[in-house]
Amino acid sequence: MATEGSERFDQVDWSDLSRSGRFDLSINSIGMLLTTLPLALLAVYDTQFIGDRTPTFEFIGLDRTFEAVDFFFIFTLFLAFWYLVLPLYQNPRMTRYYWKEFRRNRPAVVSMVWLGIVFVGGIIGPLVMSAPQQELLVAYQPPVFTSVVESTPATCVGEVMNGRCHGTWEYPLGTTNAGRDVFTMIVYGMTISMQIAFITTTIVATIGITFGTLSAYSGGWVDEIMMRFVDIILSFPTFLMFLLILYIYGGGLGMFIVVFSLFAWGGTARYVRSKSLSISEEEFIKASRISGASTYQVIRGHVVPNVASSIITQLTLLIPGFLLFEAQLAFLGVGDSTVPSWGQLISAGRSDLSYAPWIVLAPGIVLFLTILAFNFLGDALLDALNPEAEAESE
Amino acid sequence: MSDGQPLLEVENLTTTFSTEDGTLTAVDGVDFSVDTGETVCIVGESGSGKTVATESITKIINTPPGKIEGTVRYKGRDLLSIPGSELRQIRGNEIAHIFQNPQEAMNHCYTVGWQITEALQIHQDVSDEEARTKAVDLMDRVGIANASSRFDDYPHEFSGGQKQRIMIAMALVGDPDLLIADEPTTALDVTVQAQILELLDDLQDEYGMGILFVTHDLGVVAQIADRIVVMYAGKVMERGNVLDIFDNPTHPYTQQLLECLPEFGGTGGGIPGTLPDPHDPPDGCRFAPRCEYAEEACRTGEQPEEVEIEPGQWVSCVHYGPGGDPSVIGGEEFGIAGDTGAADGDSEVGPADD
Repeated sequence: MATEGSERFDQVDWSDLSRSGRFDLSINSIGMLLTTLPLALLAVYDTQFIGDRTPTFEFIGLDRTFEAVDFFFIFTLFLAFWYLVLPLYQNPRMTRYYWKEFRRNRPAVVSMVWLGIVFVGGIIGPLVMSAPQQELLVAYQPPVFTSVVESTPATCVGEVMNGRCHGTWEYPLGTTNAGRDVFTMIVYGMTISMQIAFITTTIVATIGITFGTLSAYSGGWVDEIMMRFVDIILSFPTFLMFLLILYIYGGGLGMFIVVFSLFAWGGTARYVRSKSLSISEEEFIKASRISGASTYQVIRGHVVPNVASSIITQLTLLIPGFLLFEAQLAFLGVGDSTVPSWGQLISAGRSDLSYAPWIVLAPGIVLFLTILAFNFLGDALLDALNPEAEAESE
Repeated sequence: MSDGQPLLEVENLTTTFSTEDGTLTAVDGVDFSVDTGETVCIVGESGSGKTVATESITKIINTPPGKIEGTVRYKGRDLLSIPGSELRQIRGNEIAHIFQNPQEAMNHCYTVGWQITEALQIHQDVSDEEARTKAVDLMDRVGIANASSRFDDYPHEFSGGQKQRIMIAMALVGDPDLLIADEPTTALDVTVQAQILELLDDLQDEYGMGILFVTHDLGVVAQIADRIVVMYAGKVMERGNVLDIFDNPTHPYTQQLLECLPEFGGTGGGIPGTLPDPHDPPDGCRFAPRCEYAEEACRTGEQPEEVEIEPGQWVSCVHYGPGGDPSVIGGEEFGIAGDTGAADGDSEVGPADD
């Protein structure tokens, strides 16, 4: 579209990829590099030098195995910190403004607190709490403040009054049929949910934004082909694809995330394309080109930042879908049963619903609240970041 | 330039757009030049191709659908044939633009400081601090009070006139040799307009740059121009020294434009008719359908060749060309004479009949 004839991909002058002519990195990029490097080294060390069964941190005596999903999760956390949280700190005025707008939406503030709890729980929980162990003796303990018929638990940990077993703080949300603490399992499930949320968002955002802006700026038949490809992606039966992959390779959490995010970016790409097209007609794009900015600099410096506010909202509203889908698959028994997700917990408690409903209810409520919170958050972000969209929708 | 070469020399510039209704010729064989330290005004009605002509100079027009032909020599280099990367080095650094609508020409995602320093950081190897110092200096220079604290403000926190000043600072940050100002005062009220014009004038003296100024406002032209290029429907009608043209407008279109200005003794009545369809321009002189002196010769062939009637004053009109009779146009003394001229004109050449 706005490219000059001579400017093809192979002729891009890579030195002008940074805003200023010289090779200087922002503090964000430096931080990102500095934190990603050890992570990458650790990942290489983990995959190349120690066996699959050896815990990653055996060299410092920690019994914790990192898998590809964990590495990628930490990478996305770094990404979020250096390019989302730190910029907010660097631009206190914008942050204050966004917060002022955001604060007006009370449910969203509550939602954010809830998501904060889930996030922190998911990060710190597994570090401070040991994984729930199978202890058949304490199976079916009721949650605290509730009681069940004495015959339900194998042995009642709490008090037995009038033939009913009461819950204790030792197992605040009760235990499963295998005697695992439901609360601990929910905390472990938070990690899984956060991994799903962060990794899918990163993959969808990266592919969607790249694809959308490229398509908008290429124009012509390239645009046409790219958009028809998006149509294919959007109409692809991802679920069947996942079942097929599951059948051939076996599916873990990583496989779920990769398959579903690789087929979920279609809408984002389409959205980014239409947004980029309208923004590229703006006068300030022309002003930037007149200032001598290259096509890359225009896209990176002006188009993407203007699209970003809408994209953040769109991505936030995409996350609940993934969480729900994971739970559905787990409930159907299609997921990886070794992954301690909320869906697996619900699935495990399904047969005991009549006499031990807390095994299903506790993670179910947490899942429900989390999905609701993401939806509220997305709505509030839409209002805070993009007041025009709000005006349009009214 | 030292060797007598003008800073910018535009020859036979033609910009066409391919549209669904066929080819649209927005600028059709335009010639003009700008010298260092000189202000050249392109004047004409809306839709005359003024903006397209200036945007063709640095190839800002999207191609396709646009197509730019001719030569644009800037310091001896043909901007239309150099590769894109070299052109980008010139844009913003040596040739800068000021836009008509500062409201839209700023990205509301960024502070004005960021936007002022953008061109500087693209072209020059400066640190953030140096860029900031320079931008604050410029903001101060263009008359933004409290420049250093306003550096981090966003565009919506500035008034229209202030935004236009910021736009000027954005354009000047690369120390351009040529400033292209596309109706920079149209969106402003008259008092602010006067201040901005004065500012541009001061800055021109200070930086010694050539200014190509696009406007439809002859009052502005009178104030700032050294030379004028009168455009109509993509063609140059008349060009020359501002005083010569104001004193002695030769082309009927120029005369009628001046006639529209009450402050120059005109009637302010406007020019009857509208611009021709750019898809299908009339034969002969573009202005013939609206010209009260049009003859048969005006309606056939191509736009008449430009004729130098006074040193430096060129006009494209059949009546001044070979075999023409300049006395047909009664514009010898402008003003009331315009009316006399109309009376003197051949009665068979009435107002355009189409």
